[in-house]
Amino acid sequence: MSGFPIVDAGGICKEFPNMSAPVLDGVSLTVDSGEIVALRGPSGSGKSTLLNILGCLDGPTYGTYRLGGRDVSTLTPRERAWVRLHYIGFVFQSFHLIPDHTVLENVTLPLYYMGVGRQEREARAIELIDRVGLSHRLKHRPAQLSGGERQRVAIARSIAGEPRLLLADEPTGALDTRTGNEVMSLLKEIHEARSLTLIIVTHDPEVAAFCHRQIFLRDGKIVDGEYRHAANA
Amino acid sequence: MRQTRSEILGRALRTAVRNPGRTLLTMLGLAIGVGAFLAMVSFGTGARASVMEQFELLGTRVVYIWTNMNRRDFGGSARPLTDFDVEALKREAMTVERVVPRITEVQNVRSAQTTFPTKVTGTMPGFVDIREWPLLVGGMFDDTDVQQRAKVAVIGTTVAQALFGRRDPVGETITIGSNLPCRIIGVLTSKGQQTTGEDMDEIVLIPATTYEAFLGMPIGYHELMLQVRNIRLLETGMVEAVPIMRRSHRLSENDPDDFRIASPAQAAQVARFVSTILTGLLMGIAAVSLLVGGIGVMNIQLVSVAERTKEIGIRSAIGASPRQILVQFLAEAVVLSFTGSMVGVALGWVASSLVARAMAWSGNLSVLTIAGAAAFGTSVGVAFGYLPARRAAQLEPIEALRHE
Ligand SMILES: Nc1ncnc2c1ncn2[C@@H]1O[C@H](COP(=O)(O)OP(=O)(O)OP(=O)(O)O)[C@@H](O)[C@H]1O
Ligand SMILES: [Mg+2]
Repeated sequence: MSGFPIVDAGGICKEFPNMSAPVLDGVSLTVDSGEIVALRGPSGSGKSTLLNILGCLDGPTYGTYRLGGRDVSTLTPRERAWVRLHYIGFVFQSFHLIPDHTVLENVTLPLYYMGVGRQEREARAIELIDRVGLSHRLKHRPAQLSGGERQRVAIARSIAGEPRLLLADEPTGALDTRTGNEVMSLLKEIHEARSLTLIIVTHDPEVAAFCHRQIFLRDGKIVDGEYRHAANA
Repeated sequence: MRQTRSEILGRALRTAVRNPGRTLLTMLGLAIGVGAFLAMVSFGTGARASVMEQFELLGTRVVYIWTNMNRRDFGGSARPLTDFDVEALKREAMTVERVVPRITEVQNVRSAQTTFPTKVTGTMPGFVDIREWPLLVGGMFDDTDVQQRAKVAVIGTTVAQALFGRRDPVGETITIGSNLPCRIIGVLTSKGQQTTGEDMDEIVLIPATTYEAFLGMPIGYHELMLQVRNIRLLETGMVEAVPIMRRSHRLSENDPDDFRIASPAQAAQVARFVSTILTGLLMGIAAVSLLVGGIGVMNIQLVSVAERTKEIGIRSAIGASPRQILVQFLAEAVVLSFTGSMVGVALGWVASSLVARAMAWSGNLSVLTIAGAAAFGTSVGVAFGYLPARRAAQLEPIEALRHE
């Protein structure tokens, strides 16, 4: 698998109504399967916007995007949902767990939407929850967990559907340094065990240092690191 | 969509249970709507059945002819109802099986112990047949008693109770008016109260001849009761009786009828018609309340979708398709509407039982009505739940996720 560009975006532009300048202004990047890439840049530079487009949560205004060799820049909402379900996992800064669901229910959710039967999805979810060290918290609600625990639940959920691409938007942004480090090493372990591709938006140089390469955004443009194999050629 | 129906509904039920406040609020309108619907249907049919029952008390195959002698506007010209009319009707009316005259006035009735002013009726033996009124004890006076102007009486249970308490009145003597002593030969079964509050059992029957001889009959009979051969002949019986009466009263072509004629069955038809309209009206109001309940479901669901925008964004980010989100919210509408309707059925049941008890009606909510109301309530809720569900499904994932 390695060496095959899973992400292949060319000339991505994103404009929002009522915004004078485009938020993304011709971003081109490729990411190989198995890479860990840090996406950095000042606040408002368009990192989250780019990540959302890479994650098929949103479509570009212009530009092409091939995910795993398939053109996904012009999909319908329904097709994008399918791609997210089967290819992509998200980890967010503010966890985004469903508050009235238990830990177990949150983690089984992608499998539920994939149509996996109840017994199998629970078995798989329990294994993942165990993997992130929370098997004693199966029946807890998100509100009953600490920030670090919540992020670990979110990570378990993000990989439940066995995605090929994991996108994390400031996953340690809401955590203290120690918990943040634990979360980063968990991501790293998972990356190694599952050979998935990881793109992490971060402000934290320590987090960035842990990645194979870094891409810098400013005013919607890549200013450094747009060339491939900068870190692990 | 590979999720099973029971799984989808199970999740909707879980969501409902975990958010009790929201659930109650959503269900409330529909529960009240369905409850009101059932209560109104029950009230309507109960009232209608009770009206029909009242008419049956008066005899089902009977045409009544009333005298106009006691009406001021006819006082001058009207002729009394007499045995001559009775004979004419018996002789000429093909559809009529039995003709029984009646005069009724309030008289003082005395036993050895007490006095009880009550309605005393002079009539013929056929009275109890035409009114379908069996005797509790003893017997009715017969034609011989009529011929002989016998001083005998048949009384209702209220009179028996008032004059003799718990004692058997048969064989006792009562004095009617100033000096008509009559021996009691029978007691009628109880018919209870009419809608008007009139006590049907406050009655004393004596032969019409006895009445005329001792109490006087200055304006003739008050009423002739004509029993037709079967219920379908009521109209014909009325049409047939009018010319016979006019001839018997020697009215010329231009004279108006000097008697009135009607049938309780005819009145019953009018009453049935009126109560059908009334029931329809009540059901209309109830349907509106159901609709309002449905709009309630829609409002709360719209609020719920707005409140849960973030949740919808999360589900969407995970990969739920718009259709899966639509189905989720529709399933919640199904669960809420169904439970709400069931609560409404319980409410309606209690309300109609209370009303039925208060009005002494029999329970009258059919399983079909209840099932229909529940099904209708659920459909209304689901129909109104569709708009919010579609709104949820059409949310932009990014926008929903950014929502705070
Ligand atoms: N849906 C939207 N409508 C209008 N403007 C938007 C929308 N989404 C993002 N923007 C704008 O696009 C710009 C880039 O936003 P984005 O969230 O991508 O920045 P970021 O690099 O992730 O910043 P931060 O580090 O603060 O998270 C911002 O100016 C933001 O206001
Ligand atoms: Mg951001």
